[in-house]
Amino acid sequence: MDWYPIFLREILLFGRRLLRLGYVASALLMPLLYLMAFGLGLGRRVAIGGGTYLDYLLPGLVAMSSMINSYTWIANGLTMGRVYFRTFQVYLQAPVSAAAIVWGEVISGMVRGLFSSVILLVLGHVLGSSLRLSLIFLLTLLLNCLLFSAFGVVVGMRARSHEDAANFSNFFIMPMAFFCGTFFPVEQMPRVLQMAITALPLTHTNLLLRTPAWTPASLESLMVLGGYSAACLALGILLVRRYSE
Amino acid sequence: MIETQDLSKRYQKIVALDGLTLTVERGEVFGLLGPNGAGKTTTLKILTTLAKPTRGWAKIGGHDVEREPLKVKRLIGVSPQEINLDKELTAYENLWIYGMLHRVPDLKTRVRELLEQGGLAARARHFVKDFSGGMQRRLQILRALMSRPQVLFLDEPTVGLDPQVRRQLWDWILGFKAAGMTIMLTTHYIEEAEILCDRVGILSRGRLIALDSPRALIGRLGGYVLESLDKGRRRYLLVKNPEEAYAQAQGELEGVIIRRVNLEDVFIQLTGERLQA
Repeated sequence: MDWYPIFLREILLFGRRLLRLGYVASALLMPLLYLMAFGLGLGRRVAIGGGTYLDYLLPGLVAMSSMINSYTWIANGLTMGRVYFRTFQVYLQAPVSAAAIVWGEVISGMVRGLFSSVILLVLGHVLGSSLRLSLIFLLTLLLNCLLFSAFGVVVGMRARSHEDAANFSNFFIMPMAFFCGTFFPVEQMPRVLQMAITALPLTHTNLLLRTPAWTPASLESLMVLGGYSAACLALGILLVRRYSE
Repeated sequence: MIETQDLSKRYQKIVALDGLTLTVERGEVFGLLGPNGAGKTTTLKILTTLAKPTRGWAKIGGHDVEREPLKVKRLIGVSPQEINLDKELTAYENLWIYGMLHRVPDLKTRVRELLEQGGLAARARHFVKDFSGGMQRRLQILRALMSRPQVLFLDEPTVGLDPQVRRQLWDWILGFKAAGMTIMLTTHYIEEAEILCDRVGILSRGRLIALDSPRALIGRLGGYVLESLDKGRRRYLLVKNPEEAYAQAQGELEGVIIRRVNLEDVFIQLTGERLQA
């Protein structure tokens, strides 16, 4: 339970920031705008995969929002805490392992990712989505939050400034948000791009969130997400362990 | 309690610390003195496991800081130069989380005890961002004391504070010393080092250039300094006693000061630089 004080601190800070309207708005604004614009505008008129566009869009937005929220708060928080406020150094000088520090951060990032997902799901149902939550949906959502929180730790430990963290977001996170099957099926992309897109984790999150039942393909996607998560966690722990100013 | 051997740290081409060898005994207050960039903070970062040395080794309580960092972290309390409290949390929450990280037993009682000791009990539930600089510094030092450390590291503990708060913190530090704690502090305030430290090490450009008690270091220079103005620049002349100073000062009345030697004079003598900017 050495990870718990780190988790508690992050959650207390998250709670304080939730009270600020601007903070919540900036965290949820983009996926909510997409949901309102595309969900209401195209939701019932366009059909994809035998259902309404709203039913297609909602899992994609959940994948995108959980990714952005899990990643952003951890990557930015860690960069700011390490480089500017030096609050991260308090963890490093405490008798806790690198793994405990990383798990504390990652679990708090997961909570943030889940929080945004719940808001989207509730709003989606208010707008008329008939999406049903399955075990595979929940497991994938958890894994997605874990993966991108762990990626946030890696970026937070490597970034030399706030701008650095933003660049990582622009080059890795934002392209995934748009091209990995959030708004339209990956099959509609040119074949060459499809190969690159299939290698990206969010593609597999989107596939799994839309899968009605377990298939060999969904197990494969689950393994891809698990592999990425394990790699990011291991790298995050290594970076914390080897940290030196 | 603190032991270093040939401790060195290099940042690419810059040598921040060069071959520091020293021993600090249990219960001693040791001061690292030097201007900005002398290597004081680098030394503290290595001793508190935040930076890895590029050469040499350091031990706290017999544990190597590089090989046994967790054991070292259980022995130390750290108050860095910058305020690194969580300003969006309350004073109580800051201490509580730090106590949990250090597995402090009977945490509730310990947090209350420290807040009372620091005169912050009435502000326990207030956000740290609303505290004055002096209160934040006090809280940061209280946090460092949370785990009842055997060795306390204070990096510029009174920098930027008004004289009244500075003297209050000096009383605290003297109290910790009386309680038998080993303290290493960095400062570029001469008076602070003279009042608090049993011994000081003077660092200049990463190298330890003097190591002794403030009294012994001052004693090496003689008793008094005659300061005078020479074509608009201050001139310092070391003399044995006030009589010699008066004799030397004859005819130079404007801007003449006769005073006892202090650590700043020792520093100027050794390096040709002033300690305080």
